[in-house]
Amino acid sequence: MRPRVIRTDDGRGTSAPALRSPRLTALSPEDSRNTSQDCAELWAGMCVTSSPSNPGESTSSPPLEQLATRAQRFTPRVSLEPPDGLLLEVKGSLHLFKGAAGLMQALGEEYGDIGKVSSFALAPTPLAALLMARWGKPLIITDKAQLIGHLAPLPLKLMRWRADVPERLARMGVRTVGEALRLPRAGFARRFGIAPLADLDRLTGRAADLPRPFFARERFRRRRELTYELENTERILIVLAPLLTALGDFLRLRQCGILKLECLLRHRHAPASSCVLRLAAPLADVSRLTELLGERLSALELPEPVRACELRSGTLVPYLPASRSLWQPGEQGGGETQSNELIEHLRARLGATAVCGLQVLAGHRPETASSVREPNAGFAAVDGSPPPPWSAFRRPLWLLPAPQLLQQKEGRPRRRGPLRLAAEMERIESGWWDGTDIERDYYIARDSYGVELWVFRERTAPHRWFLHGVFG
Amino acid sequence: MPAADELSRLLEHPAIWRGVSAARMEVLPTGFSALDERLPGGGWPARGLIEILVSRFGIGELSLLLPVLATLTRRPMARWCVWTAPAFPGSALPSDGNESCLLEPFAPALVAHGIALERVLVVRVPASSPRALSSQTLWAFEQSLGSGACDVVMAWARRPRAREIRRLQLAAERGRALGVLVRPQRAASEASYAILRLKLEPATQGVRVTILKSRGGKRGSVELALHASGN
Repeated sequence: MRPRVIRTDDGRGTSAPALRSPRLTALSPEDSRNTSQDCAELWAGMCVTSSPSNPGESTSSPPLEQLATRAQRFTPRVSLEPPDGLLLEVKGSLHLFKGAAGLMQALGEEYGDIGKVSSFALAPTPLAALLMARWGKPLIITDKAQLIGHLAPLPLKLMRWRADVPERLARMGVRTVGEALRLPRAGFARRFGIAPLADLDRLTGRAADLPRPFFARERFRRRRELTYELENTERILIVLAPLLTALGDFLRLRQCGILKLECLLRHRHAPASSCVLRLAAPLADVSRLTELLGERLSALELPEPVRACELRSGTLVPYLPASRSLWQPGEQGGGETQSNELIEHLRARLGATAVCGLQVLAGHRPETASSVREPNAGFAAVDGSPPPPWSAFRRPLWLLPAPQLLQQKEGRPRRRGPLRLAAEMERIESGWWDGTDIERDYYIARDSYGVELWVFRERTAPHRWFLHGVFG
Repeated sequence: MPAADELSRLLEHPAIWRGVSAARMEVLPTGFSALDERLPGGGWPARGLIEILVSRFGIGELSLLLPVLATLTRRPMARWCVWTAPAFPGSALPSDGNESCLLEPFAPALVAHGIALERVLVVRVPASSPRALSSQTLWAFEQSLGSGACDVVMAWARRPRAREIRRLQLAAERGRALGVLVRPQRAASEASYAILRLKLEPATQGVRVTILKSRGGKRGSVELALHASGN
């Protein structure tokens, strides 16, 4: 227990709280100016409004990210405020730009050419800077004590609260930030929720505000000039090895993987040959990347010897190396990691479209009954595929992409000898709604070699015979 | 007799192969009881390369494999079922002129036979020349077999060399997968490293299956009605 009463030498007892007299915490005007100069942060808010000619374009995120990248010229602490705002912590940069006014001028010069109307403001709290930028007045407030005074005339709609909050406040006669700040806190929170109150606290600096920092997207790009010319793709892989090692270090440092890697090979005259590696899952393993790149390179035909090579990565994605499976492939579902590796490996050599899965579509026309799709990665649970709607009829295991015209003799189809038709016939008439309607009578036929074929006869005028599938 | 017991237990070791008697090996039922009786162990080997020699592509080799494909793809932790260059049987139907018609596996029929499409992977081999097609197909076949990510890999090929078949067999052992290589019948006279070789010919009802080579199975032929059991 702390003593409530401290006895002093002269014998008078004073209570402990009384020691902190109000006079001690109150600041003289000189003190207040000093603290304002020492306020921990100074934020530059920036608001990008789309130019009238193409509205809506500026709201897409990539331009904002580009602006943020350019903003890193001023400070490393940049935050995005989608859809149109940007925040820069510029306290440390003021001296470099000869004070706040110089900084504002530099900002204006930096972003003067973007063809959009943008406005800036400086304030001690991020939200205040953003609000003033939205308001469109280039204010500079470096003194925290003056902040509320400058904020007071701002209309509340700049806070971008849920639409009904400013409406209800307006009905109460509260239209500006200053009027809202004068409302009792408890009642405000009860009527409008905690979130608007927290916003007001962050606005005035009463609560701390830490905007999420923006990090520019990094890519790996490195080039190696050769002192000699190379034609052999295996040799090129050896030449690429240091670049790949550097890529591996680069990725390990950032704990990232890549989904795309481009290898550019430059020649003396011909345009550079490019070989692009696309990966099914993020990858950071250099030996595996080397292996895949080797497969790609071996399929590449070089127009001329190579004089320089360059590696460019796609965007980095966070990557956690998976742990090795306890099981051998083939035991208890081991081989999950190999599953993706196989697809990548085959695609690296045969092309991205070479590997695919199959799926059944809802359609009665054989042409529209199935399609290819991206193979499922990993071991998805196999649920029973829906039963096909025509279980009464046999379907061929192989289908021709387009029916093949058959010769005929006396109305009977021939294919290296007469075809024997089974008695059973299936009529398929469908597709009148999309212009590719079919009217066909399908038969199972057996050719002279014993191969069962799926043939059909048109029901309309020429009554030609076509081959459409093989039972296999 | 303890000595005889011990000896028989020793001989059950999977690495020991004894002529006629079936060494213990993992098998998958074929779905055709008449064929099961004749195959060593009573079914397809679960790992290793088998060869099916056909008089014509499309004669029924796929129908013969449908039951085992359905079983393998519907297992709880099924791996891939890979079809390597399935467009190839098309070249058995070149017929008019030199353009060969390419065939695609027809998904609804596969589903109707109980195959889980989620586990099916089709590998198409783009190739400019037949030679490139053949070498690329065999490359994809070997990679899939040896990857450990597949339960069964099928390929249709015209003339792989004996050395390549040896590599395929080793890859199948390494990846613990069943490899099925479908080849024309005239390859029957060549030596092969495949652990099982079958010949398929048309018969009045379905196909006639002749066992050309097996480890410890019976030789001879059996007639199977494929579609009666397939549907």
